[in-house]
Amino acid sequence: MGYDTRGIMNMTNKSKIQIRNLEKTFSTGKTVTALKKINLDINDNEFAVLLGPSGCGKSTLLYLIAGFEKPTKGTIKLDNKIIKKPDSDRGFVFQDFALYPWRTVLRNVTFGLEMKNTPKQKAIEEAKKYIKMVGLDGFEDAYPHTLSGGMKQRVGIARALVYHPEVLLMDEPFGALDAQTRKHMQMELENIWEQTKKTVIFVTHSVIEAVYLADRVFVMTARPGTIKGVVDVDLPRPRNYTDDKFLNVREKILNLLESEVEKSLELTGE
Amino acid sequence: MNETTKKLIKKNFKELLHFLFPFFVVIIFWEIFVDIGLITRVPAPYTLFMRFLQITFEKNILTSHLQASIYRLLIGYFLAAILGIGLGTLMGIKKSISEMFSPVLSLLIAIPTIAWVPVLLITLGLGDKTVITAIFLGGFFAIAYSTMHGIKTVNKSLINAAKTMGSNNKSLFFHVLLPGSLVSLLPGLRLAIGYSWRALVGAEMLAALVKWGIGKMIYSARFFNDVELMFVGLIIIGLAGLILDHLVMGTIEKWTIERWGMIQEG
Amino acid sequence: MDTTKITPYLLPLIPFSLFFIFWELFANIGIVNPALFSKPSIIFIKIFESYSELSFHILFTFYRMTISFFIALLIGTGLGMIMGYKKQIYQFFNPLITTVMTVPGIAMAPLFIVWFGFGDPTIITIGIIVAFFPIVYNAATGARSVDPQLLKAAKIMGARKRDLFLHVYLPHSASYLIIGSKLGLARCWRTIIAVEFIAATSYGLGYMIWDAYEYLNVTVVYSGVIVLAITFFVIEKTIIRYIEKRTIERWGVIQNNE
Repeated sequence: MGYDTRGIMNMTNKSKIQIRNLEKTFSTGKTVTALKKINLDINDNEFAVLLGPSGCGKSTLLYLIAGFEKPTKGTIKLDNKIIKKPDSDRGFVFQDFALYPWRTVLRNVTFGLEMKNTPKQKAIEEAKKYIKMVGLDGFEDAYPHTLSGGMKQRVGIARALVYHPEVLLMDEPFGALDAQTRKHMQMELENIWEQTKKTVIFVTHSVIEAVYLADRVFVMTARPGTIKGVVDVDLPRPRNYTDDKFLNVREKILNLLESEVEKSLELTGE
Repeated sequence: MNETTKKLIKKNFKELLHFLFPFFVVIIFWEIFVDIGLITRVPAPYTLFMRFLQITFEKNILTSHLQASIYRLLIGYFLAAILGIGLGTLMGIKKSISEMFSPVLSLLIAIPTIAWVPVLLITLGLGDKTVITAIFLGGFFAIAYSTMHGIKTVNKSLINAAKTMGSNNKSLFFHVLLPGSLVSLLPGLRLAIGYSWRALVGAEMLAALVKWGIGKMIYSARFFNDVELMFVGLIIIGLAGLILDHLVMGTIEKWTIERWGMIQEG
Repeated sequence: MDTTKITPYLLPLIPFSLFFIFWELFANIGIVNPALFSKPSIIFIKIFESYSELSFHILFTFYRMTISFFIALLIGTGLGMIMGYKKQIYQFFNPLITTVMTVPGIAMAPLFIVWFGFGDPTIITIGIIVAFFPIVYNAATGARSVDPQLLKAAKIMGARKRDLFLHVYLPHSASYLIIGSKLGLARCWRTIIAVEFIAATSYGLGYMIWDAYEYLNVTVVYSGVIVLAITFFVIEKTIIRYIEKRTIERWGVIQNNE
């Protein structure tokens, strides 16, 4: 089959995020095993993508890393400390933007700093810096409901970065945007990432998005989700969607995915 | 005065005219029909207006009545707001509390506020206390319910986002749950003031020891068959209700949840 | 035993039981004056004893409510449809309706007592008035919100004015009518009870309660209030829910999460 299982776990134990034997079961009514036997390592400054068919549990995995849910079995470690609940060492960007409608763009971005009791002037300064970085300077005093989807997500990204979390978690952040905006945002994100080089864990079901953004792509199986394999994307940035090498990597991933997509369609037919 | 302010004033003025136009038409036809004898038992607008002037300026009774009513309304309503928001918050935050009290609330809301009045008359007497308690009951349930609903329906992502930005429970409540609940809380407060106002009028009518109050004014008028006074009173009640709802609560909604795009302009 | 399934039913019973237990207790040992507050035990015995008398009063209130409601429904729907059909009519009547809507029914009672006297004419008239407004308001909103595309489609299929009314406006507005009726019925019920306090002379639930109050028959007052609460609660949860389920929920217009 030719898929890669090496490189999922680090032998050196010096990874940024370490997941061992993770399992997650939901028991509301009937019992559903969302994730099973997840083992993986994510390195510092790496752009990691979790890719898989719908329902494979990739968002659940991200929620577990964020601390919004607790594992049924196994551990997740960030910088060698076990993750128990959500905290500001992990930043999160939501698919539905999750901006506070009663706060302006500026005040949305300063939220994290307010939680840390950063003095007002400094918070505003920092926030403005990041608002500029995502290309929204001039919109500081706008209310979220006046912004387009792409603009809202840029605020979401600025908000998640401003208080310098160790890791940035992104849950299908461009899923709610139209195709044009989506492509544009992928390039923007690439740009922003190059400036901060944060460790990113990015969830998507779009192969093209994965190949464009990732250093490594973790391909997941249908439910119950495990890591089927990992694909190294060793291409120089910024990448070209139509490049031969790009398309090759895409092919590789698609092969891994194919049987899983069929399986997940069967599952949802239940 | 800059251009945008001028435009805004013009727009509001036009809206006001549009609103008042039907009333002008009705008043004119009303006056004509009474004058030519088509309607007999209803007093003419002009007579009503004269009567209104008389009781307001000549005899000063209208102001005393209104004062008494408004005083009671304010006390009862603020109590309802504070306790209602309090209980609603508790119910919104803790699932066990809401499961315990929600059915009780549903049952109590089913009782027309006026039905409480005989019980209040027996236990609290025939005076002010009864009226104020009736006002409180009128608004309390609606406020508690809408607060609880508002907090429960805050988008989970907003809560998660706050947690991931390092907020503790206190910050979570004040910075996310409370503002987030406004989209349900404010309309609830708006409904409640209507309920409270109606409870006020009804309770004033039934509480024998109450001498002053707009409801009492109408009620006492019956003993003199004073239809004119009743009409004036009814019009005042309608206008007051409108002012409370539209001007007061409507403006508050405009400045908050409408400005934030959380609700469609009604 | 799965406790998470039972607790939603058990938990609500706690405040109820505690309340009645403490009430009975306090009345018996005298912390609370039974002459003013009565006792749950006596109240429930009274309710069972006076079952037939109670039913009689309830029936009369129902009778008044039903007549008022249906008349209001007829007039309200008719006027609402007309208002929705022509924008100018809507713009003319809307301010009038929203203003008069705020006047509580009971405030109109002294006026109607002077004109019509005590009893049914007054009570039913006021019932009609208060039920009318929510119905006409919602009916108008419903008729106004008909999708112009649906109208165009019907016209192109050869519909005339009467067909448009029967086959497009009416069905579309049905869901709004149901919402309006729900509100109208509730206001009707509450107002009729209130007006019965002042204007009824021999029967009706409101009359029963007020009459008992005037004779300081405390137990009957409490029983009346309790019966009132249960009656409307039952009406809401059964009849109204049934109608909602079969109509607007089936059509996917609203979702009910309770």
